[in-house]
Amino acid sequence: MTSTKDSSSIEWLGERLARKEDLRLVTGKGKYLADIAMPGTLHAVFVRSEYAHANIIGIDLTEAESLPGVIAIYTGENIKDRINPMPQAIVQPNLSAKYPTFWPLAVGKVTFHGEPVALIIARDKYIAEDASELVLVDYEELPVVLDPEKALTRNSTVVHEKDGTNEIFSMTFTGGENEESQNSNEAEVNAIFDSAPVVVKERFKTHRTGLTPMEPRGVLCDWNESDGLTAYITTQRPHIDRLALSDILEISAEKVRVIAPRDQGGGFGVKAPFYRENIIIAYAAKSLGKPVRWIESRYESLMNVGQERDQINDLEIAADLEGNLLALRNEGIADNGVGTTGVYWGFVMPFLGAIELPNAYKWPKAHISLKVATTNKACLTPSRAFGHFPTRFALERCIDMVAHKIGMEASELRRKNLVDALPYTSVTNEYYDSGDFLKVWDTLVEKADVPAFRKRQSEALNENRYIGIGFGCGVELSGVASDLLVPMENQPGYGAATVRLDPRGKVQVFGGDAPGGQGHETTTAQVVASEFGIDPAAVVVTTGDTGTTPFGSGSIGARAGSYFVSAVADACRELKEKITRILAYDLKIEARAEHFEFTDGEVIYIGDRSKKSSFVSIVERIIMFPINLPENEVGGLDATAFFEAAKPMICFNADCCVVEVNVETGDFKILKWITTEDVGNVINPLVVDGQMHGAIVQGISNAVFEEFVYDDQGQQLTADFENYKLATAADVPNIDIHYATTPCPHTPLGTRGIGEGRPSSVPGALTNAVCDALMPLKIEITELPLRPNSIWEKIQQSKQT
Amino acid sequence: MKNIKLTVNGEKFEEQIDNRLLLVDFLRDNLSLTGTHVGCTYEGVCGACTIHLDGDAVKSCMLLAVQADGHNITTVEGLSAEGSLSNLQQAFNDEHGLQCGYCTPGILMNMADFLTENPNPSDEQIRHGLIGNLCRCTGYVHIVRAVKKAAKMLKDGAREDRT
Amino acid sequence: MYPAEIKEYHKPDSVEQVLEIIANHEEGESLLLAGGQSAMQAIKSRMLRPQCIIDLQDLQELKTINDESETLKIGAMVRYCELAKSSALNINFTGLKDAAAHVGDRQVRNRGTIGGSVCWNYAAACTPAAVLALDGSMHLISSGGETKVICADDFFLGPLDTAKSESDVLVSVSFKKPKTRSGSAYKKWGLVKDALPVVGIGAFVKLDSNGSCYEARIALTGMGVGAQRATAGETLLLGSDGDQQSIEAATESICANIDAPTDLSATSDYRYQLIRSIGTEVILTAFKRASI
Repeated sequence: MTSTKDSSSIEWLGERLARKEDLRLVTGKGKYLADIAMPGTLHAVFVRSEYAHANIIGIDLTEAESLPGVIAIYTGENIKDRINPMPQAIVQPNLSAKYPTFWPLAVGKVTFHGEPVALIIARDKYIAEDASELVLVDYEELPVVLDPEKALTRNSTVVHEKDGTNEIFSMTFTGGENEESQNSNEAEVNAIFDSAPVVVKERFKTHRTGLTPMEPRGVLCDWNESDGLTAYITTQRPHIDRLALSDILEISAEKVRVIAPRDQGGGFGVKAPFYRENIIIAYAAKSLGKPVRWIESRYESLMNVGQERDQINDLEIAADLEGNLLALRNEGIADNGVGTTGVYWGFVMPFLGAIELPNAYKWPKAHISLKVATTNKACLTPSRAFGHFPTRFALERCIDMVAHKIGMEASELRRKNLVDALPYTSVTNEYYDSGDFLKVWDTLVEKADVPAFRKRQSEALNENRYIGIGFGCGVELSGVASDLLVPMENQPGYGAATVRLDPRGKVQVFGGDAPGGQGHETTTAQVVASEFGIDPAAVVVTTGDTGTTPFGSGSIGARAGSYFVSAVADACRELKEKITRILAYDLKIEARAEHFEFTDGEVIYIGDRSKKSSFVSIVERIIMFPINLPENEVGGLDATAFFEAAKPMICFNADCCVVEVNVETGDFKILKWITTEDVGNVINPLVVDGQMHGAIVQGISNAVFEEFVYDDQGQQLTADFENYKLATAADVPNIDIHYATTPCPHTPLGTRGIGEGRPSSVPGALTNAVCDALMPLKIEITELPLRPNSIWEKIQQSKQT
Repeated sequence: MKNIKLTVNGEKFEEQIDNRLLLVDFLRDNLSLTGTHVGCTYEGVCGACTIHLDGDAVKSCMLLAVQADGHNITTVEGLSAEGSLSNLQQAFNDEHGLQCGYCTPGILMNMADFLTENPNPSDEQIRHGLIGNLCRCTGYVHIVRAVKKAAKMLKDGAREDRT
Repeated sequence: MYPAEIKEYHKPDSVEQVLEIIANHEEGESLLLAGGQSAMQAIKSRMLRPQCIIDLQDLQELKTINDESETLKIGAMVRYCELAKSSALNINFTGLKDAAAHVGDRQVRNRGTIGGSVCWNYAAACTPAAVLALDGSMHLISSGGETKVICADDFFLGPLDTAKSESDVLVSVSFKKPKTRSGSAYKKWGLVKDALPVVGIGAFVKLDSNGSCYEARIALTGMGVGAQRATAGETLLLGSDGDQQSIEAATESICANIDAPTDLSATSDYRYQLIRSIGTEVILTAFKRASI
């Protein structure tokens, strides 16, 4: 029941509409967490551990407490009997794992460099920092656990003693649920490998890197006896945070309100966990009866969050000489850090990464297993391409290596093995609902023109220039269905939206998720405008406030384009049913909703276009003048809809890049980056383009420039932007996007959620291009980061052999 | 403590402040001009705090407020009159040159200065000019387009940008 | 994140006043603040806790570039952005322009100064290496009013360490204009564009009427010891007209005679490779510029 296109003035779906958010953001009128002012606010600064692993012998607060302006100081000892420790069910997956016990401040010992040890509350943030220097902590150093493989051995020091092991989680993802069937599957896979004509086995390593939203975290809590706790948090998941705060601090849920500020400076997963800081700041506000504010410094941020990837994947592919993939075998080891972060506990990322490993290829058989190790490093926090950045790198590289071994074009080998009929269930039981992978792939390959490139490549080689082409692709989650989210995170996957019309024909939309720059105010407005035939300017979107919005699990996993806008469309359609019912009654005609068109601010009966009403007047009539209504009808126009896809949904993208490598220095330049996307029906191409650009550049920056480094004492060496290097505009290329979409059959608008997993195909595509350029030197790179230094070393090694 | 007199976005201020107060904190906390943002600690690399000091784009987190005594400061709030947008701001809106908007004020301030010195910039020059502004969301592609568009708007005789 | 307490802040408008204020304080108490792009990092991280800050921004006398017949004199408070645009550097001292145009970013170049950079002498900084390559001289005034000139070779002692004493004020950096054709260049490599140099090299060659090099200076940075001369390499350029063999021999000699560390940014071997690669480019460019 969408408006027919040929008679509407503007079809808002597919329109490159400039964003509504921009006006306030380009004029500096955005309101981020640090911009919210509350009279009487006190400022919080954390004292954080200087050691990676140490017992806390004592904490001397005397000097710090006596500094004028210091109001209170909390330590683990003085809060541990007053705050419930983690784990708490609300932020715990339904997965069997060794969940460490912890409080918001370290109790007894510290387990990573940067762990919060004390919290200082002062009148002024400068004074709070002065006081933090006066806190004296007496540590007794303990042996550090830093290597994930060593951590998993029997004689390793154990980080969380009560668990008796550093193996926080392990799983086999293939061969069914029980050990017997998994073992027999593994035996079958081994047999295939034993007899396969082509086998490539390699150890692929991805370093510790992740996302760093430009706005660090922050919490502002206010408490009064009457309303309870109001917590402003830089969070992607206000509704989950609210329940967690209620459970942990034992504040009855109706007295907890969490508000994610309307403007957030990026999330990318980093603001999705439930963090320790939320708990202790809320506790402080409640104890002191004054608003308490904590704004994270970039130093704290880099020390504590945004660290992800960090996996070893011992991956093998068996194939035949024609390039058919026969089997996949992978043993993953993830370095989890300490695991003390709610919702994900670090290991959920590699868990999903293993599930997504098979990617877009048909694997007759696979054996995929994972072990996750606890170490004395910051806990992994989700970062866009959640868990599968390393597994995609491993797989896409290995596929190229198989192609090289056979002597086949890597792009052709991929095409040969792409899933060609959907829906499809992968060997790890991941359901791919719809799409046309071959259409996406062929569109890319046409743009890439490999034969022409090979000609250019050989001409270049004659001039002693090394250019290369590399491919990669990614099946990405489009929203996360309850089927996956309930076991994985103990949370529902549905999208929910309240659509509320007012008597002036304006629309308010309420959603419980909390975006950080994805343009939801605009895309949502476009959807509503398209449904009701009105202008997007008439639509106002409210997100992230648990006091006013329906439940949402959060801005995660590309939920907006998949689940949220679907709920919005459904709610609009419910209202359109009611509007047309009453209008038909008023017009004294027998008609149903599909006989009406909502266009250009009017609701028109298609059978006789003279029978119509302006949108505003019929809406006003139903809300304000609900008399002479049909039987059993009541006034008001407000609907809340919940959308859950019957089956999990996906989107699909493919990348091709061309690079030139300077063999003298190993330095390389990306000459071209082309991508094709099946993002379903597009609401706003500007927004989608932007999501793709951003994701790809994040992928490049992660793969090449960024690395979190710990020294051999577990000291984090990269806690500022001088050392943790982000790609600047001068370091990354322009990106050429092409769309090869198929509408999603399971969403009301045919849209797909996009953008979350998008960076995952990048490291493989880029490394493949570099290796392709260096083919004459027979170099295969299996480790990230992809640095000129390491490329040059490989070149030197190849010269020696 | 020091008494400082300065002009911010055309308005005169006289304030009594601590010597160690950073200019960015003065603007945000004392003057409630929260459009200028803080994105890094002591390193001064991210550029989100970029403002104009006597017309030059500089990082306000790397200046003490006392250093601004006697000077002219422009922040993002001063790029255009209430109710209107400068060419650069309009171009960013047209070209989707921002997503979360956190780095945007710093980029607008830097590029406003950049365009006065480079009225006809190439993509490469724009990208080089943007080194001092980190953006996580956009991947810079639309930002470059927006700056290019603003340059064209200025050249085509659109009204002057205030700096 | 925030500076420690700063008891005094001064903004004098003459060098005399600066010297007076320094004299009124104990050693270690005062800090001269130029552009602040390095100093403020240290002050904000509390690595430095100056009791008294003397802001040099109003010292107009230190902000000029004097292009005289025999000497180019650059005021200590001249900013990178000004150096990057200055035509006075074009003939002999382009290397300094190369360095200045790529320090940090635009915002840094709008504030950072040549004087601040040479006095700070950060371990991996471009300007000290460029000044060392170009044989700059630092002109200082002491508390008693005495002036002294210290040549670059004697000025740069090590990371964050120079021959300037606390009671001195740097007023200018000067370069003697060569009587014959000469040319200079500077280039660096960092993982991201214009990052602090992992390896930075400046080269300065003077040619006789036959186009043959009779004097060469090469300076490096990024080796962890601050700006340093590569005299071994310089010798091998003498008599050369920029031929490939001599340049190769020069860069090899530099590698053989300089310690390159392994750190987060690069391995020792890679640094040597960068010395070869960038060194070749920079020396060639210097010769080319000298030949114009």
